[in-house]
Amino acid sequence: MFRKLVVSLLVLASLATNGSPSIAQDSPKEADYYAITSLPIPDGVVLEPGGLTLLPEGQLAACSRRGDIYLVSNPLGKPEEMKFSLFASGLHEPLGLTHRDGWLYATQRGEVTRLKDVNQDGRADVFETFANGWGLSGDYHEYAFGSDFDPDGNLWVVLCLTGSFSSEVKYRGWCLRITPEGRVLPTCSGLRSPGGVGMNAAGDMFYTDNQGPWNGACSLKHLKPGKFVGHPGGNRWYEATDALGPRPADPQSGSRMMTEAKKISQLEPPAVYFPYQKMGQSAAGIACDTTGGKFGVFQNQLFVGDQTHSTVMRVYLEQVQGHYQGACFPFRQGFSSGAVALHMTPQGSLFVGCTGRGWGSRGGKEYALERLDWTGQTPFEVHEMRARPDGFELTFTQPVDPQTAAEVKSYELSTYTYIYQANYGSPEVDGTKPMIVKAEVAPDHRRVRITVDRLQPGHVHELHLNGVRSAEGLPLLHKEAYYTLNYLPAAS
Amino acid sequence: MRFGLFSGLALRTLAAAASLWTCATAFASDTALTHPVVPGFERFFANSAADRVLGGRLLLGELNCVACHALEHDAEKAAISVKQAPVLDNVGQRVRPEYLRAFLTAPRTVKPGTTMPDLLAGVSASKKKQHVEALVHFLASTGTTRDLAVLEQAVQRGEALFHQVGCVACHQPRRGETRPLATSVPLGDLSQKYTLPALAAFLQDPLHVRPAGRMPNLNLTEIEARDVASFLLRDLEVPGNINFAYYEGAWDKLPDFSQLQPQATGTAPGLDVGVARRRDQFALRFEAVLTVEQPGQHRFFLSSDDGSQLWIDGQLVIDNDGIHATTEKDAKVQLTAGPHAVRVDYFEQGGEETLKVEYQGPGVSLRPLDYALTREAGQTPASDRGCRVDPALVQQGRQLFSSLGCASCHAMKSEGDTVKTELAALALKQLDAEKGCLAVTPQTAAPHFALSSQQRLFLGAAVEAAKQGPFEPLSGRAAVAHTLTTFNCYACHERDRVGGVESERNAFFATTIQEMGDEGRIPPHLTHVGDKLQPQWMQRVFAQGAKDRPYLLARMPKFGQENLGDLASLLKTLDDQPSDPLPATNQPPRRLKNAGHRLVGDQGLSCIKCHTFGELGSTGIQAISLTTMHQRLNEDWFHRYMLNPAAMRPGTRMPAPWPDGVSLLPGILDGDARQQIHAVWMFLADGPQAAVPRGLTQGAMELVAEDRPIVYRNFIEGAGSSAIAVGFPEKANLAFDPHGLRLALLWQGAFMDASRHWTSRGSGFQPPLGRNVLKLPDGAPLARLASPDESWPDTPAKEPVGVFRGYRLDEKGRPTFLYDCANARVEDTPVAVETEEDPRIRRTYRIEANSGEGALYLRAATAGSITRDGDWYLIDKDWRMRLVSDRGEPVVRSHNGRQELLLPLESADGVTTITQEYVW
Repeated sequence: MFRKLVVSLLVLASLATNGSPSIAQDSPKEADYYAITSLPIPDGVVLEPGGLTLLPEGQLAACSRRGDIYLVSNPLGKPEEMKFSLFASGLHEPLGLTHRDGWLYATQRGEVTRLKDVNQDGRADVFETFANGWGLSGDYHEYAFGSDFDPDGNLWVVLCLTGSFSSEVKYRGWCLRITPEGRVLPTCSGLRSPGGVGMNAAGDMFYTDNQGPWNGACSLKHLKPGKFVGHPGGNRWYEATDALGPRPADPQSGSRMMTEAKKISQLEPPAVYFPYQKMGQSAAGIACDTTGGKFGVFQNQLFVGDQTHSTVMRVYLEQVQGHYQGACFPFRQGFSSGAVALHMTPQGSLFVGCTGRGWGSRGGKEYALERLDWTGQTPFEVHEMRARPDGFELTFTQPVDPQTAAEVKSYELSTYTYIYQANYGSPEVDGTKPMIVKAEVAPDHRRVRITVDRLQPGHVHELHLNGVRSAEGLPLLHKEAYYTLNYLPAAS
Repeated sequence: MRFGLFSGLALRTLAAAASLWTCATAFASDTALTHPVVPGFERFFANSAADRVLGGRLLLGELNCVACHALEHDAEKAAISVKQAPVLDNVGQRVRPEYLRAFLTAPRTVKPGTTMPDLLAGVSASKKKQHVEALVHFLASTGTTRDLAVLEQAVQRGEALFHQVGCVACHQPRRGETRPLATSVPLGDLSQKYTLPALAAFLQDPLHVRPAGRMPNLNLTEIEARDVASFLLRDLEVPGNINFAYYEGAWDKLPDFSQLQPQATGTAPGLDVGVARRRDQFALRFEAVLTVEQPGQHRFFLSSDDGSQLWIDGQLVIDNDGIHATTEKDAKVQLTAGPHAVRVDYFEQGGEETLKVEYQGPGVSLRPLDYALTREAGQTPASDRGCRVDPALVQQGRQLFSSLGCASCHAMKSEGDTVKTELAALALKQLDAEKGCLAVTPQTAAPHFALSSQQRLFLGAAVEAAKQGPFEPLSGRAAVAHTLTTFNCYACHERDRVGGVESERNAFFATTIQEMGDEGRIPPHLTHVGDKLQPQWMQRVFAQGAKDRPYLLARMPKFGQENLGDLASLLKTLDDQPSDPLPATNQPPRRLKNAGHRLVGDQGLSCIKCHTFGELGSTGIQAISLTTMHQRLNEDWFHRYMLNPAAMRPGTRMPAPWPDGVSLLPGILDGDARQQIHAVWMFLADGPQAAVPRGLTQGAMELVAEDRPIVYRNFIEGAGSSAIAVGFPEKANLAFDPHGLRLALLWQGAFMDASRHWTSRGSGFQPPLGRNVLKLPDGAPLARLASPDESWPDTPAKEPVGVFRGYRLDEKGRPTFLYDCANARVEDTPVAVETEEDPRIRRTYRIEANSGEGALYLRAATAGSITRDGDWYLIDKDWRMRLVSDRGEPVVRSHNGRQELLLPLESADGVTTITQEYVW
């Protein structure tokens, strides 16, 4: 059926004769495709970035957990040509930074504040309270993350529960929208411990939540206005607002997410789980590649930081039965500290703000500000992963070797889900090992359709593509994909 | 004299004693008798297809069948792990005689689920009564119990402990609505059985009485044991036999009580310093009556910390006054027959507190005085029990203890000799599995265990197996599983997918660090534990228990090394995994340890973000200490674990320090992962002597305003969760509360220490660092009043008093706070002013009033007293304020017992400028 590629066989043969050490040396590395550049934070400056934004004047603004905002000049250039200057200080652990009409908008623990340098001396002199309609009891876990402005000009704020377990003051565990006029619109309930908030290319808002009660694993959740996203701890505030309609029924502890989603109409299941330890341990900031190719071939996909593993993960989303769901893939490891704040510039540079304070992270630094750039080389990766009624459709960033890609033994699939419970986290449960019945390579060698006996709706589908080779004989840079199959697409 | 002999101390016990006899028979007829509970049998054998001989062997040991039905060979005896019955040497000091009587009469009625059989089921009711009475006298001849009152705070602490430390892994939870679980080891009605001191003593060292380790030692402190006992005995009512009066004060010798007013008076069951409301700086006076039966010389012993005195009939008998550690003094005194007034005075300054009085005399062996006292003359003292046992009945009881077979299971020393059993029974292999104890309706002469049909089935299989040949000792996995079943290790631990916390008990396993999830609250699994832990460490844990996981509230109890035999070496043999050879290195150890030190610290792998280091807490969660790793872990296991923690401990929060076996720190030891792991191990091998890793010790981080003010917004004690603190270069500082729209704190000198919020997670409220902190009251700064007499409006704590609009900084970086209140727009600029003395805060308001109902006022101060002197006001006779306005005349008004300094802003639609200066 498929033409054997002489080239790939030759490559394989040469690899085999050279023995394993040279495979290790010749294996493509993440750094070949995406390069990390550390921005030179001056000695004596402690910058623990919680929010980043590129200003129209070309500077990168970074707000720090210690309450400062620094401006970095020439952030897209060489490190030795960059300069850091202090723009503001005295903010309360800000975890969100964006700008509009000459104002910087910083989301502090207790309010969204807009700042301006009126007298043009390089330091902000106006700190205007833009919105503050939520409570802060004094618990360190009561973080507030702020988004960029959505297409309607709203800024979205996601509020961690008190102690990450309960809701002692107003709207803890909720998502609020701040209108252009500064009004506060309660938008979603059911949040637990957010790690970041950001939009996809369509302007729909997402946030990451972390493993804990009612969250079997870290995940990316869609903030669809009116929805309840899973943790009932903050639902007492339905008493305070009609914005979301009636309070949803409490989920039953020990159940499964999709079982409860069928019973509770407001419950929106996580779009993508990040399986614990396999992908990360503390999902954080979100950025979307809307650069039209300046960041490589992953246009419109989402990039999500992990604070513990100091990595950036990649997420492909599709809509099935009106709900977002999709797959996550490892993307880039090796940041110097926990990846928390992500910001994609129109030029295709992904800035990553890193902090390891309070929660250990890989990398060996307490804090860092780094930039991830595409080298121009495209890695051999699964590009997109779409659910089909009886399997998945995979697209690849490069043509596949049709022989290995057509062999079912090149793939290994397992599925599992999580206990949806009031207890902390969940092991992977209800596991299955479905059979890959067939793998069909499309004529363009860019797509493979795998048929599975059988899919498990409600489960994460963990696919290992250990045997698949590119037309050039290379293995995938990342061989794993994790698809969260909440809903099955209808047969077309 | 039927019950007079044991006139009870406890009201409830007395009532119970009087009714138990009849009560027992009534129960027996209408309550289904529960079979003996052996948790491991109920969980893994009953109603299952499990190996019947194995299950039967478990019961042979747990019901101690082999105590009567002998095994022939020594090897065979070693094959059965026997649960020895409680040692009864001093049972009279532990268990109430009333309970002994009731329990011996109807064991399963009094304690459903007990493994003790009814040995008297076959004798007539009248004979049974005689036998029981004799046995009770014999047992009670070993001592007397001593009642103490149960304190409510101890009950509450004990309830928490009982449900946290691991008691409910085996016993029925007593909180919530847990259904009765078949695996719950029964406790019976403990308040009928034990006094508080007796149960507390048992809980502190259960292996002393029950050496077989089925009830392990949870390493409770003396106070914890008393707390748990108090909870278990919370229904106990102990009437006092001694009047006491309680005083508070600081003394270095006994005070003159006649000049003092007692804080409390009441009756106490015994000379118990626990009736005090606090642990230090108090005094007690106890008064009671001692009725002497035989006149003659009596000797008294008085021991206390701190001072005490014993008075009899108004005469000082022993003076043990002054501040001292526990010190005993004694004196002899001639006493006539009849009542004598006894008084004990006691005081405690600080530290430990103890008080004990003992006496002896004609016909009275040495004993605590407490028991002999009554509140009034003519009452029967509690001490009459124990000393009035009938010697004839004691002898008869001793005979019965031997002949009935009690001595077959219970070790008991009497008059220095161990009582030997005289009961002869058939050897195990000679038994008929349908007869004797195993019959559906046991023969009258046989001990009645009330075995369940399942238990008869399994025991029958074991008896049949015994006929086929001697029992072989179990080996390998089966031996380990049998031990884990026997000691109910499975109640907490899972191994090889067997056992683990039962779902109904799961919720009782708790943690101090919730975010650790199940890992933080469920005891660790034991699969491959022999690969992980060093055998010596396991032995140490078996022998001593463990509390190495600070976050886990359940404790690993001490089972007694001899009880668990060779479990550690068995686990080691079974679980040992082949390992890669450890990396060869030619690095000197010092260099490796140094590299390990870097790797563990905050510029390496940040192990110390989660792991404690001896006494030093980590900056994040408090995971197991790095200083014991080298003692606990096998080195080769450590190497494999470091490479992939989640594979060996599913669900762990421990991230892979070397993901995919690759080092993320190329600058250390050439980035060689295996060498780095080796270096960490070398570093850990120094244990508590290892150098403290970087990132653990934190000093203060003082914020100092040099040329511009510093704004510090955070959780500030006294100024709220969104407080904005401003430190001026002039060294006057303030904290503004944007929620209450007020200056909350003023102080001088050092500004703030940011270390609380800028290191680790930043938890908690931080007070000012400097001196002379002035706390200003809350309440809205502006209000509209319908009349000058109207009260200043109260503002509910959670409602904002107005709208905070932010702040702007002037050229020098000084903030002007912006807010709306009472329909006026306020610009509020407090600045520091240097003076020759302390710096001051001068505050300028610009208030633009919009129209509104009522007259607008600024409340410049509210205090207990405000005295005016021109533009100056003395506040609370403590500090001064100047108030100057371009409009309006300030007034001081008294309202609701306080004074308020109000400034009317008469021109309600104009702009008013006000200056307020704080001198404190």
